[in-house]
Amino acid sequence: MDVFWQTLVAGILKGGLYALIGIGMTLIMGVMGIINLAQGQLMMVSMYITYVLFSALRIDPYLSLAIAMPALFLLGVLIQKYFLNPLLKVDTILPHNQVLMTVGIGMVLTEVIRFIFKSDYRSVSTTYSNKTFFLGHISFSVALTVAFGIAVMFTLGMFLFLMKTDLGRSIRATAQDKEAATLMGVNTGRITVITFGLGSALAACAGTLLAPVFYIFPDIGGPFTSKAFVITILGGLGSTVGAIFGGLTLGIAESVGSTYLGMDYENIIGMIIFVGVLVFLPSGFKRLTKV
Amino acid sequence: MKPARKMFVFLTAFALSVCATAVPALSQTIKVGVVLPLTGSEAAFGEIERNSFQMALDEINAKGGVKGRKIELIFEDDTGKPDVGRSAVEKLISQDKVSVLTGGYSSAVSIGVTALAQQKNIPFLVTTGSADEITEKGYSYVFRINPPASEYPEAVTSFLQEVVKPKTAVILYENTSFGQSSSKSFEGNLKNLGVQLLLKEAYNANAVDFKPILTRVKSMNPDLIYMVSYVMDAALLMRQSKELDINPQLFVGGGAGFTLPEFRENAQAAADNVFSATLWSESVPYPGAMDYYKKYNARFKSNTEYHGTEAYACLYVIADALQRARTFSPSDIRDALASTDTKTAFGPVKFVSYGKKTQQNRLPTFMVQWQRGKLETVWPRNVATKGYIFPTTPWRERK
Repeated sequence: MDVFWQTLVAGILKGGLYALIGIGMTLIMGVMGIINLAQGQLMMVSMYITYVLFSALRIDPYLSLAIAMPALFLLGVLIQKYFLNPLLKVDTILPHNQVLMTVGIGMVLTEVIRFIFKSDYRSVSTTYSNKTFFLGHISFSVALTVAFGIAVMFTLGMFLFLMKTDLGRSIRATAQDKEAATLMGVNTGRITVITFGLGSALAACAGTLLAPVFYIFPDIGGPFTSKAFVITILGGLGSTVGAIFGGLTLGIAESVGSTYLGMDYENIIGMIIFVGVLVFLPSGFKRLTKV
Repeated sequence: MKPARKMFVFLTAFALSVCATAVPALSQTIKVGVVLPLTGSEAAFGEIERNSFQMALDEINAKGGVKGRKIELIFEDDTGKPDVGRSAVEKLISQDKVSVLTGGYSSAVSIGVTALAQQKNIPFLVTTGSADEITEKGYSYVFRINPPASEYPEAVTSFLQEVVKPKTAVILYENTSFGQSSSKSFEGNLKNLGVQLLLKEAYNANAVDFKPILTRVKSMNPDLIYMVSYVMDAALLMRQSKELDINPQLFVGGGAGFTLPEFRENAQAAADNVFSATLWSESVPYPGAMDYYKKYNARFKSNTEYHGTEAYACLYVIADALQRARTFSPSDIRDALASTDTKTAFGPVKFVSYGKKTQQNRLPTFMVQWQRGKLETVWPRNVATKGYIFPTTPWRERK
């Protein structure tokens, strides 16, 4: 039974981080109707920011959240304002050239980072990177548990922000019906810019929390972009609560699958869920939660 | 007037043709194509190898090159993908007209590019790609400097036999050609030693979380955990083993990632007491080994390891073959490579055939152990730099 509980704990802790990455993408998806395929790469940039702050100035990763998140918010704002919004005005043969643009941005980010830092693996080895505590026979990684807590906090904060504040309501209005929102006096252009900034900041949060327990190299973004994509689909394209469930589901499914089926099935399981949801539950968990 | 004019035309034509052929011939370099992962997730190793190739190139050319001609390296990026590697080699052969090829980091890429080299009859000296099958296809144009993956654990096996005598074991390996090849042969070794294999499981490289699989390993409580992993997976496996408090008598890495400085940097204390099979470390008793290590450190301000030495040695082997080759045509270079018998920083190089293998270099392997943040050669005894620490201290009793 220990094996099962340990697996479940590992899955939930991992799922918390997944959720954080997924929410960023979901938010952007909801408001702009495009999949941001640079989400993982944005996360990678924040990991490097964390790394630089840690190795040069000895700033703890948890403190560097306060720097990495605003930095990525700004980066997101600039990307949306100068690279994505202008595309709306251009006629192209491709309907979703903004999505293609995000792919390009992802590549540029990866290569710029590679140019600066080379391809070497980097680590943010804090004193608590390897610390654990035990509840019964179940081991909890300190860093991952804290990361999970912070992820939950930010997720809840995001949810309240979207539900209760004016800006949050404007974002939701834009997501539900852009034209109607514009007619109601919402500055949708500004909203898209802010949303992309927020999405990037959430990716930054995930990256910074992941840095002490994982490792960093320029190509780390790609796999996380695809995880975020699966979570966004799972959650129902644009639903924040859905994305939380999506992240946890993916984390747990991967963990349970790799314990009981074999670890080489880990990615297959994620993809099976992905296809399964598209076929049987096309609107994702949103249909179950209605938010 | 007419004959004189004819003569003039003839002379001019002659002079021009001499210019056209002789002048470039004097300055013409010998082109060597190198295919390596310079971007992508394997780029860290690609860079070490490229630097080492470059270092060997500069040394060889500074001494006057080969038969008065300088060697020119043309690097192509395979990004770690077999299809990209193939088109890179296609380009090296058809556009750059290289007369010999080398490089090949991952097994998957090496398998693809060596097949192409064989088809086009261009000699290919494989630097790192270690899956056994690469030299088992009877390719006459393919040579390999590093031992096949199945031979990596030879030193480990003799250590197990003489010192550890484990009863039970678990093998974890990444599901790549290298991992499969390595783990399969080690499984055979365990069988010969009479060790019971409790679990043999593959994982996806670059996974975030190994806890599910490690939890199962813990519940089996094996004497030996053997892992075939690249560097960062290796670090995470060890860190998470520490987190889960898994205490076998010993952890052994099957080469690749466990000997790199990045492994120690990421795993920190979790790296201590871990054993690893290795093909080379700077303390092995080969002339030039320590020299290469120091020169690399001085020039690139970073550490190197056995992959780099392979690359460094590769170019020396090629230069040696070029020196002996009758002409610089691919088939003559191939013949010269086949009769190679030289000493390099990576060890003696001679391409022999045995078992199913052809044109394969044979080398002994070593076992190293991390002790207080330093990698020490501990087995075989006659080359050991320090005594081994065994059995491994349980995590909770460590300071």
